[in-house]
Amino acid sequence: MSAKTTKGAKSAGTLKDFHEEERLGQAYDAALLRRLWPFLRPHSKYLVVSVAMVVGIAALSLVRPIVMGNIVASAQASRPDDLFVHGVTLSLLVVGTQAVSFAQMYAMQIAGARSMSDLRAHLFDFMQRLELRYYDRTPVGRLVTRATNDVDAVGELFASGVLNAIGDLVQLVGIVVMMMRLDARMSLIAFAALPFVGLLVWFVRGRAREAYRDIRVKTARLNAFLNEQVSGMSVVQAYAREDAMAGEFDGINTEYRDANKRSIFYEAVLDAAIEMVGTVCIASVLWWAGLQRLGDARITFPLVVVFTQYIKQFFEPVSLLAQRYTILQSAMSGAERIFKLLDDGELEVEAAPAAREGGAPVSAEEALALEDVTFSYKKGVPVLRDVSLHVEKGERVALVGATGAGKTTVTSLLLRLYEIEAGHARVLGKDLRAWDRRELREQFSVVPQDVFLFAGTVASNVAMSDETPDLSKVERALARIGALDVFLRRPGGLEARVDERGANFSAGERQLLAFARALYRDAPVLVLDEATASIDSDTEARLQAALEAVMEGRTSIVIAHRLSTIRAADRIVVFHRGRVVETGNHEELLAKDGVYAKLHRLQFALEAERAAGGESVAAAAV
Amino acid sequence: MGGGGGPARDLPITLGGQFMRHMPRYVAGTVVLAVFQLSLNRIDWLSKAAIDDVFGAAPEQVTGPAFWILVLAAVAFVARVSSRWFIFNAGRDAEYELRALLLHRLHRLGTAFYRKMSAGEIMSRSTGDLQQVRLLLGFGVLNVVNVLFAFASALQVMVAVSGKLTLVSFVMLPLLIATTRSFSKQLFAKTRANQETLGKLSDVLQTNLAGVRVVRSFALERRERQRFDRANESYLEASLALARLRGLMGPMVGATSAVGVLAFFWYGATLLLRGELSRGDFFAFWLAYGRMMWPMVALGFALSIVQRGRAGYARLKEVFDAEPEVVDGPSPAPARIDGAITVKHLSFAYEKPSHTVVDDVSFEVPAGRSIALVGRTGSGKSTIAMLLARLLPTPKGTVFVDGEDVCQLPLSAVRENVGYAQQDAFLFSTTVARNIGLCLDDCDAEPSIVRIRDAAREAQVLEEALSLPDQFDTVVGERGVQLSGGQKQRIALARALVREPKVLVLDDPLSAVDAKTEAAILDAIERQAKARTVVLVTHRVAAASRCDHILVLDGGKVIDQGTHEELVARPGLYASFAEEQSAATELEAIDVDAPGHAEVVA
Repeated sequence: MSAKTTKGAKSAGTLKDFHEEERLGQAYDAALLRRLWPFLRPHSKYLVVSVAMVVGIAALSLVRPIVMGNIVASAQASRPDDLFVHGVTLSLLVVGTQAVSFAQMYAMQIAGARSMSDLRAHLFDFMQRLELRYYDRTPVGRLVTRATNDVDAVGELFASGVLNAIGDLVQLVGIVVMMMRLDARMSLIAFAALPFVGLLVWFVRGRAREAYRDIRVKTARLNAFLNEQVSGMSVVQAYAREDAMAGEFDGINTEYRDANKRSIFYEAVLDAAIEMVGTVCIASVLWWAGLQRLGDARITFPLVVVFTQYIKQFFEPVSLLAQRYTILQSAMSGAERIFKLLDDGELEVEAAPAAREGGAPVSAEEALALEDVTFSYKKGVPVLRDVSLHVEKGERVALVGATGAGKTTVTSLLLRLYEIEAGHARVLGKDLRAWDRRELREQFSVVPQDVFLFAGTVASNVAMSDETPDLSKVERALARIGALDVFLRRPGGLEARVDERGANFSAGERQLLAFARALYRDAPVLVLDEATASIDSDTEARLQAALEAVMEGRTSIVIAHRLSTIRAADRIVVFHRGRVVETGNHEELLAKDGVYAKLHRLQFALEAERAAGGESVAAAAV
Repeated sequence: MGGGGGPARDLPITLGGQFMRHMPRYVAGTVVLAVFQLSLNRIDWLSKAAIDDVFGAAPEQVTGPAFWILVLAAVAFVARVSSRWFIFNAGRDAEYELRALLLHRLHRLGTAFYRKMSAGEIMSRSTGDLQQVRLLLGFGVLNVVNVLFAFASALQVMVAVSGKLTLVSFVMLPLLIATTRSFSKQLFAKTRANQETLGKLSDVLQTNLAGVRVVRSFALERRERQRFDRANESYLEASLALARLRGLMGPMVGATSAVGVLAFFWYGATLLLRGELSRGDFFAFWLAYGRMMWPMVALGFALSIVQRGRAGYARLKEVFDAEPEVVDGPSPAPARIDGAITVKHLSFAYEKPSHTVVDDVSFEVPAGRSIALVGRTGSGKSTIAMLLARLLPTPKGTVFVDGEDVCQLPLSAVRENVGYAQQDAFLFSTTVARNIGLCLDDCDAEPSIVRIRDAAREAQVLEEALSLPDQFDTVVGERGVQLSGGQKQRIALARALVREPKVLVLDDPLSAVDAKTEAAILDAIERQAKARTVVLVTHRVAAASRCDHILVLDGGKVIDQGTHEELVARPGLYASFAEEQSAATELEAIDVDAPGHAEVVA
């Protein structure tokens, strides 16, 4: 059992804590940002350009009120020419600012989206090299979420322009400086309300953040609950728990709604307060201007216009602060989960160049060898115990045993899907640990029990690893196993479409394709895990012929479920509870009256009986 | 718990019904929005008065208007907060109710519906589409109302100041609305396209990771990387296309409105110059014009939101309108059920009537007796078990409990008395105790705890449960401790035992359990059988042999029946099952580590 998946539940235990588990604490932002940097660096020129433009935009925004003031001033001074010039300047300024904003946002997006695409690719590569054991205990959905939703959460940092906060800051400081320069005393009056705004923003923001975090947690719970209801619907109905479940759901639904209502309230207060303060500022400026006019005439109408515009611009970014902080938070928790995966996942061991020689001298005729191999998926529960097995080139070996006896594990180890714990293994005379995984796997043609077809065409599925299938080779392979007519009959022939996971092909057809695949691949060793599913008798006959064709001239290891397959083998190796208990041919083993004899009764007696004339049973099973 | 499901039944299910239900709040929201826009309108006029005072003959009079602006700013604040509070909350409440209704409906739908609509589809409706509906009933309503008021309030100021200037400033208005409208449409389309490419990327990842063994065995990493790169690239493209559009929206709207602002400043300044406008007029007009911009932009959005909300509701309606195939019968619940089961000429097909899964099956189980349904995978035995509890649409006049047609009884009475424990042990991601005590209302009460433990002991899972990190409080499933198939199955069995129904239907409860545990569990089932009718679906002869009567099924038909002794005595499916399984038992008994086996190993 994975320590990681249970940690939350283990440390806290109760159901409540379990549900609140996702309420991640404050992510350690700086460290996370530092880890994101390697992905950003290749695209940093866009980032730099974007940030530079942000500052430029802030500067342009600072000029705008001045130009507006100039327009009013030239109107007052009765200078139509100036009015025209300033008018054109203003419109150029506005359109220019917008154009630069677009370039800035887009540059930011390019930097963000591309680095996130790189991060996704990095995660993908990482997952391809993750130890298979990791997959045994981690739901696939969780890994998919890391590379999609979590990366997107980080990407929102760029998409929503959180980094524009830098520009906002420049603009805020700039506005204060400009106003102070224009009229220091009036600025102080205008900003008299600022501490109040600061306090309010600080107060509301904290609560809004809390509410947002709550919403995130509650959304996850809500969806998880609903999803579980849908997938476990038959249990809910069978136990007549609809009302109780609806009651439980109501609790979550209410919490979700109330958290949202809180955020509605805080958001509304924040927005409205900022607008109110803007109005209040303008009123105080007007009031101050009136009082000043009584004394001297320094305060002009254009100045009031400029001030008003600055005040309006000042409060725009402030209202975005809370929202931006929330996005930052969810980006950081996304990053945290991604890096946790990158830190915790164990990768496959690289090939050891100088692996030790494995015990016995290697004969030129040896194809595969296992010597005293022990292996377990779970600590303390060995699946293979001191298994030794030698297969010569061209030999056909059938592995036989009850479910869980360890047959499939033997083939997994030969392909180095898992690392053996103790003992030695050689493939084609070379120690398993010295093989490069890719080269090693290219020595094998695997026909798995449950054939996995990819979306594509018949030809692309037969050719598999070839980018462009060699059609004549595909045709030869299909002809060789005597199944060409089966596939040519379909509309489209070899180019007939294969749906995701081969849903539009029958189990028998999938098997035939897998045999053709093995022939096309033409690797020296065949590993076949025979299907147990019942297949109609016509296809059954074709499969037998195909099997003969594929095994011919090849070293073959067959996990056999059919008597006919076993009879075609040179040697039968019987597994029982992780050990090799008997070896020999069919007659020898039957005579021994040991494990094989019992297995024979268990698995094959029925088949033999059916073959002898129990056609009715076979027909009923289809 | 318990009562929450009730109210959902009476809630309005239509969009209009939900709207009417929250009408008082919509009215209140509309009133405060009117107050809000009226305050803003007054602020404009007061600003005009203030400016005219400041730069006119009586600067000292500015205090009055300035004070009233402060007061109105406060009023506007309250009105704005409460308008959102009323209308957005109405939207949230409608969302809450529709979501409760959705689950209520889902609880009543049967397999026919779940075959047609995948879990993913249902989830997308309950999240994305419901969100659209909520936006329509909250954000949409508020903005449509607000835009109307804002328009009226601003227009009053503007027209009063100068009709000509208003006309000039509005040059770009139609274009602005058209721009935002077309942008928001495209934005939604692009967002959807973006979501779709993300979905494809997830699919590629999902397939790759689910097929990780195949990918590695065949050394397909390079090809898979290419597939991933293609999906990743198109997602990148889609998100950049979305970004381009989002980014363009600002400049386009900005540029369009800039032309309006320019027209205003230019022509307004000219009027100011000619003396046709006072400074106060100019200022008030500017404020009014400024606060009309955002509602204009929002209008385009609001219209699209209304449209999408309706589309979202149409998709939700597919769930709301789905007809439950299994419904309550007209008869009242009987006061007492003994648990005698009669099945008469039961036939059943899932989809096409030609594809019969159960074909003319009849049998009878007296109350308190036990029966085993034996057969291969696909023989129809599980389907019969589900039909007994009406978990599938049981045909009328085929299944009777104490002589009463189950289709005539209330559904709750049938399901409470015919307890069905399913084959694939689905556990909820909650604690072990709550999973076992699923049928109990309060799992934390002392008597419940005792019952849960007793059931766990009977199902041979007590020791394992106690060895979990938090014992019975350990959370299981997706985000908790992962259990083995056998453990899950035994917990599911304990869950069925806690229920103590009159008829206990066990659907292959032992498929993932070893022989020793099996024997212990069978003892427990036998104890159960003393108090109730037991229907045991199994392919194991050892289990079937303990039942009073055995039905052998093949291809949906009863091919043989009798007691264990009778059936093993004659050749047939049951006898060959028995032969197979005695071999399996013998095999199981071989201990390779025993000293006697040393020579075999060598």
